[in-house]
Amino acid sequence: MLSEIAIIVVRGVAIGSLFAIIAMSFNIVHNATRILNFAQGNIFILGGFAAYFLADNAGFPTWLLMLVVTGLVMAVLVAMQGWLTLLPLRGNSAEQDSWMISTVSVSVIIAAILMLVYGPFAYSVGGVVPAFRIFGVKTPGAFLLAIAAMLGCYFLLSWFLRHSFTGLAISALSQDFDAARAAGLNVRGLQLLAFGISGLIAGSAGFMVAPMISVSPDAGLRYVLNGFIAAVIGGIGNNTGALIGGPLVGVMAMLMAYKVGGAYQDLASLIVLVVILMFWPQGLFGRATARRV
Amino acid sequence: MASQHDSLSEATGPQVSLPLGRGRFRSDGLQLRIGILLILLTGIGPSLLGNSYWEHTFQLVNILIAVAVLQNFLFVDAGQKSFGQGAILGLGAYGLAIASGIHGAPLTLGVLSAVGAAMLGGLLFALPALRVQGFHLGFATLSAAIVFPQLLIQFDDVTRGINGISLSVPALTKPLVWGLSGLTLLVTAVPIAALLLHYGIRTARLGRRMRVAAESAEAARALGVRPGAMRALAFMIVSAGTGLCGALYVPAVGFISPQAFIIELSFTLFFVVVVGGRGQLLGPIVGIWVIYIVPNVLLVQLVEYRLLIYGFLTLAVVIAFPDGLVGTVEMWRRKRFQRGGGEQGFRLAPFSETLEKVAPRPAPAAAAPPILEVRGAVKRFGQVVALDRVDLEVRPGEVHGLVGANGSGKTSLLNVISGFSRLDGGSYSFRGRDVTRLNATGIARMGLGRTFQTPRIFTDVSVWDNIQLGLDARPTPLDPEMARLAERFREVYGEDNPALLAHGQRRLLEVIRVVFADPALVLFDEPAAGLAPAERAEFSRLLRQISTRLGMSVILVEHDLDLVWDIADRITVLETGRVVASGPPQVLAQDPAVQHLFVGGAHA
Repeated sequence: MLSEIAIIVVRGVAIGSLFAIIAMSFNIVHNATRILNFAQGNIFILGGFAAYFLADNAGFPTWLLMLVVTGLVMAVLVAMQGWLTLLPLRGNSAEQDSWMISTVSVSVIIAAILMLVYGPFAYSVGGVVPAFRIFGVKTPGAFLLAIAAMLGCYFLLSWFLRHSFTGLAISALSQDFDAARAAGLNVRGLQLLAFGISGLIAGSAGFMVAPMISVSPDAGLRYVLNGFIAAVIGGIGNNTGALIGGPLVGVMAMLMAYKVGGAYQDLASLIVLVVILMFWPQGLFGRATARRV
Repeated sequence: MASQHDSLSEATGPQVSLPLGRGRFRSDGLQLRIGILLILLTGIGPSLLGNSYWEHTFQLVNILIAVAVLQNFLFVDAGQKSFGQGAILGLGAYGLAIASGIHGAPLTLGVLSAVGAAMLGGLLFALPALRVQGFHLGFATLSAAIVFPQLLIQFDDVTRGINGISLSVPALTKPLVWGLSGLTLLVTAVPIAALLLHYGIRTARLGRRMRVAAESAEAARALGVRPGAMRALAFMIVSAGTGLCGALYVPAVGFISPQAFIIELSFTLFFVVVVGGRGQLLGPIVGIWVIYIVPNVLLVQLVEYRLLIYGFLTLAVVIAFPDGLVGTVEMWRRKRFQRGGGEQGFRLAPFSETLEKVAPRPAPAAAAPPILEVRGAVKRFGQVVALDRVDLEVRPGEVHGLVGANGSGKTSLLNVISGFSRLDGGSYSFRGRDVTRLNATGIARMGLGRTFQTPRIFTDVSVWDNIQLGLDARPTPLDPEMARLAERFREVYGEDNPALLAHGQRRLLEVIRVVFADPALVLFDEPAAGLAPAERAEFSRLLRQISTRLGMSVILVEHDLDLVWDIADRITVLETGRVVASGPPQVLAQDPAVQHLFVGGAHA
């Protein structure tokens, strides 16, 4: 019994780490632009495909090199996507129509290309971190890597946003675009940088944890959805909230899979999302912001 | 154009005939007629010609058009983006197929079950819509679209899983007259009904209020509209209609399986609206033709690339032609025929001249209880104390000036009074009732109106529609004089483009809107900023009139102290969140605490 609980917790936290990472990659873009990138799940899956083609069962040095390459390429791609998304939005990015449409269409485009090129199959990827045992049950090393990646991402982002000049400038955007512009900040440049960072995070995370996810063209939507749920639970824009929200969603999903079977995981996500939006739309740890009229 | 507006300001009698302007601000009526014609042609044309291939193709196409029309309504008129309409359509289809196809229930029962199933699914969107909007609902609908086909397979004992359900209804496919079957007629009638529904709601009070809720939640609440309720209602209307389409889908196709309602369908329906032209009545028709017919019928060899093409097409449209195919034409037309604007674009004169004819209200007794009473109001934003134990009393029919430097708490006080932000301490009552915990919509419905520092003018509807929003919020009928004036506003500004109005005119437009809503107390937030001197004089006359002729109380936040001085019955001076003085202007002039405010002014 105890071992079952431990397995559920470890696996749930590990899977939830992925949701937390996606939530954090949402947050940085949202804080800088008020945009939520619906394509983020497919960026994450693209990272997984990169791992399959560049570093499947590779040695550690190759893996590390390819991780860096994938992260940088994804950063550039997502910054380009950000440029396209921001193109029709003059001034503030509050207008919702346009960015929701463009990020959803990019998401559909990525999934369609993956489907055309690789077919509707799930690819499995070998990892560099050896498996370990918890209560006698073999657990893939990627699980540890996922948790480490979440913590690393959290602490690096926190440091960057609080202590570097650029990070502080991005944080300033989350308060007020006009004030930031008036203070002489290059708003558009910082926004593109935020997109780039989100691509770096999601892409390299997908690469690192490829062994534990289903690398398939249609998986992206599921990750973006659960990442969003984690972000909403934690309060959108709040990384500390995401750090708790992600594992919470992960453990709930594992518990659900254990109790009623994995087939209902997406249904569980839908129900959790609807309930959260109905009762705690600001998240469980959201921050109150002054309303501007 | 200018002379037309002059005639309005000079003569207020109904005998003056106004020159008719050319062109309309919106082409909804025209688009509606073209749309109905196109659906009629494609719906019954192939059957009349005896072409069964196009008959079947257009049966499906016209059902999808009806679904897309509803999505278009949801998208623009209610402002909500749904990625889950394919799932709602599927719920409708399965509702009928399970009831009638598997269990042999009569078709009427089957249709009821289709609409019921779709509305139950719609609740999943409508309930969160009460609290959230925008991308939140985008994700919720996306999630439903992912889950729906999975559930169809999971519950295969109910749905027959991947085997699907077939249902043929011979009575519907049998030709009735001229080779037209009942199905053909139904499939033609339903998209036309959807178009009429969209047009009907849009031109009604409900549609106007929905649209305000979509574009500015604050403006909606200030007009007594609950934005969440509007969103939820829109989702339910659309779900019911989409469910009906689902019921039609089954006999039109003859067979349904989970594969028909995968997320691709939901994305396609969404893209159709964008490519066709968001908000244009013809948009969904053109969108379906371009997105659905071209790849599926004319370029069959490209079917595999369909989603990729849709994605690129939609991305290109958003970036290069954000108004979509129909919308781009409409914007060009609107630019060409636009009218309104200029110095005479919007004037108060006809309004105040009409008010002159309204008999003055008897002045309320001095002992009358205050209409608004604020006691010890405290409002904090983090460490900043915006309001520090503020007391304020406004009497019926009084113009109450609220002055103070920037950051002294004037707007914070307005936001608290109108229910937009909650007090951290103290209380206040309006019309004798404690409303400290009441929300903005509730307070507005009790008879409180307000304007905003940035006027909430909606540029996608005409100048008159912007005024009409006030009439929509009005609890009582207009008296005859004012009703005649409203009618004249409709004639003159009915097709005017509000985007052409200068900033000051927009403020005045918002002022007229709120006065038409007939509030007992109205809050003006810097209404005179950006007004020309003549407009300012006109505005000050109007302010006096709405207090003396219409009996409204006014709280006036204004930096122009001369204006406040001239018309306010009493003035309250705020400084860093505290009331430093309050009283009639003559008394304040003697008060050393606030004299510095008026030094240098004409009244010092």
